[in-house]
Amino acid sequence: MIVAETTTEPLLDLRNIEVRYGAITALRGVDLHVKTGEIVAIVGPNGAGKTSLLSAVAGLVKPVSGSISLSGKSLAPVGLEDIVRHGIALVPEGRNIFASLTVEENLQLGATSRRDSEVNTDIGRFFSTFPILGERRNQPAGLLSGGEQQMLAIARALLSRPKLLMLDEPSLGLAPKIVEQVYVELEKIRDDGITILVVEQNAARAFAVADRAYIMSHGQFALSGTPADLRDNAGFDAAYFGVSMDSESRDGA
Amino acid sequence: MNSDGHTPARTAAAFSGPELLRRLWPLLCLVAIIVLIGIFAELAPTVVQRRITQGLIYLVAVVGLYVFVGNSGVLAFGNVAFMAIGAYVSALLTMSAGAKGIFLPDLPAWLQTAEWAPLAAAGAGGGIAAIVAFVVGYPLMRLSGISAGIATFAILVVTYVVIGNWSSVTGGQNSLMGLPIYVGPWTAVIGALVAVGIAFAYQESRSALLLRASREDEAAAAASGVNVVRHRLAAFVIGAFLSGVSGVLLAHFLGTVRVETFYLDLTFLIIAMLVIGGMGSLTGAVAGAVVIAALTELLRQAEVGVTIGGVSLAAPGGLGDVVLALLMLLIILFRPKGIAGGKEIPWPFRR
Amino acid sequence: MDRIVQTLVDAVSVGGLYALTALGIGLIFGVMRLINFAHGELIMIAGYAILLMFGLPIWLVAVGALGAALLLALAIERAAFRPIREADPATLLISSFAVSFFLQKTMILFVGSRPKGVDFLPGLAQQIQLAGIRLQLLQIVTIVVSAVLLVGLTWFLKTTRLGLEMRAAAENFRMAQVLGVRANRVIATAFAISSVLAAVVACLFVAQTGLVQPRMGLQLVVIAFVGTVIGGLGCLPGAALGGFLVGAATILLQTLLPPDLRVFREAFVFVAVALVLLFRPQGIIPARGLKERI
Repeated sequence: MIVAETTTEPLLDLRNIEVRYGAITALRGVDLHVKTGEIVAIVGPNGAGKTSLLSAVAGLVKPVSGSISLSGKSLAPVGLEDIVRHGIALVPEGRNIFASLTVEENLQLGATSRRDSEVNTDIGRFFSTFPILGERRNQPAGLLSGGEQQMLAIARALLSRPKLLMLDEPSLGLAPKIVEQVYVELEKIRDDGITILVVEQNAARAFAVADRAYIMSHGQFALSGTPADLRDNAGFDAAYFGVSMDSESRDGA
Repeated sequence: MNSDGHTPARTAAAFSGPELLRRLWPLLCLVAIIVLIGIFAELAPTVVQRRITQGLIYLVAVVGLYVFVGNSGVLAFGNVAFMAIGAYVSALLTMSAGAKGIFLPDLPAWLQTAEWAPLAAAGAGGGIAAIVAFVVGYPLMRLSGISAGIATFAILVVTYVVIGNWSSVTGGQNSLMGLPIYVGPWTAVIGALVAVGIAFAYQESRSALLLRASREDEAAAAASGVNVVRHRLAAFVIGAFLSGVSGVLLAHFLGTVRVETFYLDLTFLIIAMLVIGGMGSLTGAVAGAVVIAALTELLRQAEVGVTIGGVSLAAPGGLGDVVLALLMLLIILFRPKGIAGGKEIPWPFRR
Repeated sequence: MDRIVQTLVDAVSVGGLYALTALGIGLIFGVMRLINFAHGELIMIAGYAILLMFGLPIWLVAVGALGAALLLALAIERAAFRPIREADPATLLISSFAVSFFLQKTMILFVGSRPKGVDFLPGLAQQIQLAGIRLQLLQIVTIVVSAVLLVGLTWFLKTTRLGLEMRAAAENFRMAQVLGVRANRVIATAFAISSVLAAVVACLFVAQTGLVQPRMGLQLVVIAFVGTVIGGLGCLPGAALGGFLVGAATILLQTLLPPDLRVFREAFVFVAVALVLLFRPQGIIPARGLKERI
């Protein structure tokens, strides 16, 4: 680890996580920590294991070994449906909004884990920030554009009032202008005190906002550190671009 | 891919004899088991002999279902329809002209007078079942998963309705009687051996290998140029042929055919046998048929009851069906791969 | 004219029964990709509850029928379907087939397979004059009850929290769980609603036929099941419409087909099913965004 300040207890702490799908090993002994208030990016080529990592934290897959803890408490006994109740929200790859439900219903579902009465206030606030979605609150979410769906998916995740927001490829399939908007939004969310863990192929965009980043390849972290350190590191190209030269990395370069 | 896990290429040429033996080992074991069952039947009292014969006929049907379901991984509810077709075809071709005159006065003249030899009629029964399977399977084999299950269920219902109402040819809801009764234990043993032999030969074929590959990942198999539909159709037709033959055997074992025989109860029995034995292997199909037939017979004995010192104890009638359904549920819940666990009988010696 | 209207009313009332049955099946399929053959046994158990409680006040009999179906539905969900929830749809299908057979055969074991007569709701058997046309009161009641239940279910799904969670789970179960939707709650609710539908169908069906027998649910379910497929698996309005169409079609075929072909009407229905599967595999109304997992 290049950043060695571990005096404060991390919000999220992964130790030696190994994930397998049948005969395929997706993650081989991954260590990761995210401190409160940080934006941490995980970048790497397709198939490096980034999505598996988020899936393991979200409870979608059970690691065969290793430990995951949130604020020092192990998440091992926590079921998939309860992860959100512990303060972790996921914006999955491809967004997975409920296409046949209305915009507002999608947001209501985001607040499933909450018992307080401020849900509608929060939804109202979101609609005033994004009036386009407010106007279309009663339309099926499947009719929204890709960028609007991404905003909706992020808002839906935030409605659970998470401590940690995880996003899987938030820039995927979006025009550069929209990607810009999404990342501006992420910084605002961080400023509101929510910790962010974001997985990206678009390394350049993620580096611009991240406090720290990990570079993943073949189910392991090849490098980690601050974006500035990583850019200067001679191993970066080998770890990232050397493995896969895809359109997104060219966009970012 | 398959569970038998032999790798012929790695074996030295000197061992080619043992290698062949090793390859045929699962088949040889099954043949031995079936022959032993035949010998046991020979020694058993008449009632038990009849039950064993019936069990072996069901074994043929289960193997027929296995050829399709086991190799393709696609669910099918329609194999009993092919049994019905086989049974009726053979019945119509073998019944004496006199009997047909009584039961089916409106039959076309050529069919009215037809009195085929049993073996030829049996071949025709299986053959026509296979042809029907080819014709309906040709469009339907594109389907998989639930859709395939429903489509094959449709085959069952349509066949049932047509046979049950096509009175001039099938006698409709009435039984056809007076079929030559030529099926005894040894005929059933031969039927079972033929079925197991065909199923084994098929599953060792290239077509079956490709089909099993598609079971693991249909999209990938299709992408690598495997014509899934064609291989699936081949399995469907072979399975239908065996089902048809088992229908023929059943008809000439009972001496009568009735449309009601070939519907949901028999469908359930055959599927239950395959699920309980394990649909992943031929050994599973045979094991399921043997175990369930034996169990059903024991329960039937219990229903008849035993008399001890003047007091007769009997299990309530219909208990067998309940136990069968329960057993099937328990297998699905606790041992989803069935008794055989999806494997063939392993080679017992170290290589 | 009279005959046409009578036939239509007959078709609509039978269609309504099948629509309710198809909805019961479609609801479960929607949330867990299970084709519940055992839905017929929910109808059957409610039928026997009616038989058992016959003579008590009608509302009490209805509550009894409902209670019996509800208990059985929750029991089979817990015992047979919950442990294999993650299994593939084909395994689920076989399992429900086994559950259905088990319940049917158990019933035969205890009460025998003979139909038993029960004169439930005899008041509905009378004919009434409506705009000069003689109609059976029971048919009108069936149509009204079916319509009320359809509206009620739509209301439940569209406006309640549980209804919202059920629709979300039907579209993408894993994502709903990621958001904190409780799978057990949603699935139990689906089974509970399907048992209500089954109990209502049982009341109407028993009143119509006057008979209760272990296999009574089978015929209804087989036809309704076809309706769900034709309407589009995983789409509730499609299931209701498909069930209605198939039910109504059997009555219309019965009237319209020449007598020699009439006996083959079920064959026609099932050939139609195969054709729909081939040419419109998603059904008449394809379900939007049918996704199994993230």
